[in-house]
Parts: sequence; C-alpha cells; structure tokens
Amino acid sequence: MIEITNLTKRYEDGQLAVDDLTLKVEPGEIFCMFGANGAGKTTTINLLLGFLPPTSGTALIEGIDVAKEPLRSKDYVSFVSENVTLYGNFTAYQNLDYFSKLAGKRHLTKADFARVLESVGLQEEAHNARTRTYSKGMRQKLGLAIALLKDAPNVLLDEPTSGLDPKSGQEFLDLLLAMRDRGKSILMSTHDIFRAKFIADRVGFMKRGRLVMLKSRAELEGEDLTELYIQYMEERSEAGRPSADVGPVERQDGSGENRQG
Amino acid sequence: MLRDIIRKEILETITSPKFVFTFLLCTILILLSVYTGITNYRAEKKEYDAALALNKKNLESQTNYQTLAGLGTKINRPPQVLSTIASGVSEAVGRVATVNIAYDPSLVDSKYESNPVFSIFGALDLSFIVKIVLSLFAILFTYDAIVGEKERGTLKLTLSNRVPRDRLIMGKVIGGYISLLIPLIIPLILSLLILLVYPNLSLAGEDWLRLLLMFLMFFLYLSVFFTLGLFVSARTSKSSTSFLVLLFIWVVFVTIIPKVSVLTASQIRPIPSVHEITAKKDAFLQQIQASGQKEALEWMKQNSPKEGEDQKAWQEKFRKYLEDLQQGLTSKIDENNAALERDYQLRKRAQERLAVNISRVSPASALMFASMSLARTGVDEHERFLASIRSYKPIFTKWANSKMMQSIDFSGGGQTTKVVLDDMPQHKFEAETIGKSLSRTIPDFGVMLVFIVVFFAGAYVSFLKYDVR
Repeated sequence: MIEITNLTKRYEDGQLAVDDLTLKVEPGEIFCMFGANGAGKTTTINLLLGFLPPTSGTALIEGIDVAKEPLRSKDYVSFVSENVTLYGNFTAYQNLDYFSKLAGKRHLTKADFARVLESVGLQEEAHNARTRTYSKGMRQKLGLAIALLKDAPNVLLDEPTSGLDPKSGQEFLDLLLAMRDRGKSILMSTHDIFRAKFIADRVGFMKRGRLVMLKSRAELEGEDLTELYIQYMEERSEAGRPSADVGPVERQDGSGENRQG
Repeated sequence: MLRDIIRKEILETITSPKFVFTFLLCTILILLSVYTGITNYRAEKKEYDAALALNKKNLESQTNYQTLAGLGTKINRPPQVLSTIASGVSEAVGRVATVNIAYDPSLVDSKYESNPVFSIFGALDLSFIVKIVLSLFAILFTYDAIVGEKERGTLKLTLSNRVPRDRLIMGKVIGGYISLLIPLIIPLILSLLILLVYPNLSLAGEDWLRLLLMFLMFFLYLSVFFTLGLFVSARTSKSSTSFLVLLFIWVVFVTIIPKVSVLTASQIRPIPSVHEITAKKDAFLQQIQASGQKEALEWMKQNSPKEGEDQKAWQEKFRKYLEDLQQGLTSKIDENNAALERDYQLRKRAQERLAVNISRVSPASALMFASMSLARTGVDEHERFLASIRSYKPIFTKWANSKMMQSIDFSGGGQTTKVVLDDMPQHKFEAETIGKSLSRTIPDFGVMLVFIVVFFAGAYVSFLKYDVR
C-alpha cells in the first residue's frame, strides 16, 4: 500500500513542487494522477522513491517511511519510467538478469525471463536482440517485465504510455490491469486521459503541487474525463483557490470529493 | 550485489562499439610504438658501435700527440634500451662530445639536429601514447559513466532497487577500470613479449624492474583521468557538458601547464644564455693563451742556453718548463670553465627544478618525468653524462699534455713519436642506479596518488549527493 500524508516538497529556490498532498493507494487499485507539466506528479513519484527528501509530511510504502528507511522501502516498490532505455548493448535477457539481481531475485533462470517477456508481449526473436534496436513500445514492455520480475506489492509508473502507438499503449494497459488483479497498488502519473479512464479505479488531478480533484471509477461513469480535466483545470486556475480543501482524498468511497465539485 | 554491478559495467563496456574501437586502436598504437622504439634503439646502437670504432681508428691514425690533443677524443652517449618505451630527451640532446685540451666539452649532433624532420612529429613512444591517446580513452570511458545513466534513466531504475549508492559507485569504479584496462593489458603483454624475444635487445634484470615501474606509472596516470572522468560525470547534469569540461581539463593538464611552467620558471629565475657562457670561456682562453706565450718568451729570455751549456740538458729543462706551463695554463682554463659551468649549471638546475615543480601540478608532466627517469632518458641523466665528460676532460688533458711534452723533439724534426694509446685514460660513465631513479620519481608517484585520491573522493561524495532525477 502507498500512503502519503501531508507531503510537501519545497525546493531550495523556493518553488513549491508538492503542497500538502494526502493520498492512499490500496492493494488491487490503480490510481491515475493527471496534471500539466510541472504539476508535481513526477516529484511525488521521486519522493516515493526516496530520490528527494520531503520538506514535511510522510510517504509510506508498505508502512515504511521512505525518508527514514529509503533502502528498505525499495524492496516493496517497482518503478517504470516514462522513457525506459535500459542498457542498449544488453539483450532483454541481460537487462532482466541485471535488474532482477539488483531486486534481490538471484535465482531466476532464462526460462523465467522468457516467460515474463512473453507475458508482456515481447516476441521471442526480440529476447536475444540488443535493446538499442527496440522500439519505444518494446522498451516499455521490457521495463514492465523488470517490474513484474521484481514482483513488489507497489508499482510506480511515470507517464509510461507517452509516445506509445495505440496498440502498444493498449497492450501496456492490459498488463497493468493484470498486475492490479494480482493485488498490486499502482500509482501512475499520466497525460493519457483516454486510456487511463478505462483502467483507473480512481483518478486525481494535480495542479501546482496540490491534488485539486479526486474521482472514483463510479463517479467517472458517463463523464467525459478529457473535458472534465480541461474544465477543472481552467476553473481552478481562474478561482486560484488552494487545494487544501480536497480533504480526505484517501477515502475510497469518493464522498469527500464532492467538495471540489 | 557489488559483483553484479562490476560485471554489468564490464559487460556493458566490452559490448559497446567504443570498446572495440579503443581495443583496436590501443593494440595498433602500442605495438607500433614498441616496434618503432626497438627499431630506433637498434639503429642507434649500431650507430654507437660504429662511432666508437671510428673514434678509435681516428685516434690511432694520429701522427703526433699534439694533433691528438688538439683534435681530442670523441665520447658517444650510449643508447638506453628503455628508450624503446620512453625516449625522453634522448633524441633532442647531443649524442657526441669532443674532449680535447682546449675547449670545454659539450654534447652535440642530436638526432633532431642531424634529421630535423623527426622534431616535427616527435617520438611515437609508449609514454607519449599513454600521455595523449590513452588518457583521452580514459575520458571517453568515463565522461558519461554517471550522467549518461541519468540521461538514459537507468540510474533512476537502478536506484529504485535496494542499491546503496556507495556500492553502486564502487562497482562503477572497479568495473569501469577493469574495462579500461582490458584493451591496454593485452597489447602491453604482447609488447613485453616482443621486448623479451626480440634479438639483440638485452634487457637486464634491473631494466625489467624499471619497465614494470613505468607500467605502474602508466596505470596510475590513466587512473587519474579515469577518476577525474567519474568526478566530472558526477558533477554535471548533461553528458555533453561533462565531455567538454573534461576536454578542457585535459588540454590544461597535457599542454598548457607544462608549457606555462617552463615560461614561468624562466621569468622567475632567468639564466644567461649558452652563448654568453661560451663567450666568457673564449675570452678567458684567449687571455690565458696570451699570458702563457708572454711568460714562455720571458722564460726563454732569462734562461737562454749559456755558452758551453749542455744542449740536451737545456732542452730537457725547457721541455719540463713547457709541460709545467701547459699544465698550469690548462688547469687555469679548466678551473675557470668549471667555475663558469658550475655557476651556470646551478642556476639552470634551479630554473629546471622550479619548472618541474610547477609543472607537476599536471599529471601529464609527472608521467613524463617519472617515465624519463625510469628509462634513463631524462634531462638528469643527460646532465650526469655531460658532467662525467667534463670530469674526464682534465684527466684527458693531463695525459695529452704530458704525452705532448714528452714527445717534443728539439732537433727540429717536430713531433714524430708514434702515438700510443694503451695508457690513454678512458671515459667512464655509470648509469644511475634504480634506487636513485626511484627516489627521483617518488614525487611523481605521489602527485598521481594525490590526484587519484582527490578525484575519487570527489566522485564518491558527489555521487552520494547526486540528483538522480
């Protein structure tokens, strides 16, 4: 489970990247985080990975405070970035071998690698090819294969579908659904509203470091998420209101979200 | 985990095109340099042996001691077998000195003098290749070691696992260094084998030790640039910036500091030119010769043979007087020259020491000083050789004067005594011992270690704080 409480990150130059963010992603849930560039999505993920120290608040991965025990918390989280390039001179097997060893999975065999590569849809002839010859979609699939091999209960994805063609994007999201069905807590930052609305259990809109709206799948039924996003962002921009009143966004029933309506 | 990181670093490098390129180029350059060095050494050895034989023949063909004393004997600098690896200043300084009773000896006829085209391109020896080419390779291997991983996103992915940063940087250092050494070690081992089996190339036990120390110095030098590359890579956020910064530092280290140090030393401690010293020596020589002639005439006036005096006894007396006078004059000349030379050498050495110490800020200079000292092809060895010739000069002069005076024939037939060289004193030069060479290279080894420690510590600390985003 991913649990963020009153998390704030202010950089040395004074810029407020994440502002009093509170959020919980339960096991078996996909939470999609939307927002314009610079809204604080990636910073939130960086805070969860311990790459940045928070200014205040806490980020917990499986109950472990990331700021206090960054190394231990990493045993419980997988990460897939926006542009997975990996080691271009390595084959898919070699990349999987290296990253699975870093993840502490030392006894995996080539058959295990082949199985996971097949499960993410990478053709057999690509398994032994150097990854610098891969398309972006293939690299993203390999990135997801690395996450699958780590088999951590929490998965963080930073705009994983950007730049993917429709087919690859859809395949990628199907894989995420499979992971969710295996009980993973998945937090994904994305601009891909169209695809996200089919897989997200909840969505949150971030703006200037704050979570300004949060909706559950049920609340999104019949809504045009794209229009809602644009409209909401504009409204919030005009109102210039802070988002502290987002309130108990960690609630699963969505009852708190109406206050932003 | 450390083993996995090291393995990955090595595998990633050796499967890259830059490794193949580096390996091929290293092999070609190193083997070519050693082959060229051996060819040059053998040619010089042949030339040296021929020069010795010619000198002996010339001396033997002299018809009298006066001519022999005037023409003198030639002292040739023996070629150093380790010039095959580091030619140092051996090609720029003179190879032969003429020792006669009049002039102060100096080494002339350098390889560059006799064939100036060589000076345009310089020597393609191993120390030059290490200094220029391999240091660039070290940069090429490391400039993106950290920042490149950040750009590719692999650093973030790596650190999203339970990987302590200190272990990651250690893995990068060890794995990266091994990767850099692989394309070097194979051609270097081949070079050693060539040196071992090449005919007429006799390396003594001490030479092998010197060679190993030179190789150690090469590895330390490359480690400086390797750790520097890591350091800069951990301080920059773009690999292009890292490469430019490293290229700038490389230019400063390899070309600017050595040149500026010489200029700075010549400004701080100026010395008179060689021509000024020669002019002073010549002036004194003329003065002493004039006074000698005057003194001899005076003696003859006062001691002209009296009537009835035994002619032979007078001649013997005159010969004894002339021998003493000649010895006295040449001693004065030698003393004056030695004093001028001593003063000049002291000032020159002070200037050199200053230049050397300033230039040691650059690892490239430290590499050159150390490899030249170990190969016995440096300025110090050249000066030691020159000093040995200057020490030999009065010995030769004394012998030549004595022979010359003993052979004067007052009967009017000139000097007709057959020249006998059996008792002619020989020039002796003992090359520097390895202990002394090593003690002179200690500062250079120290400089390298300081650079390595500083750059490594910089890389280590910077990486612990590195912003991986």
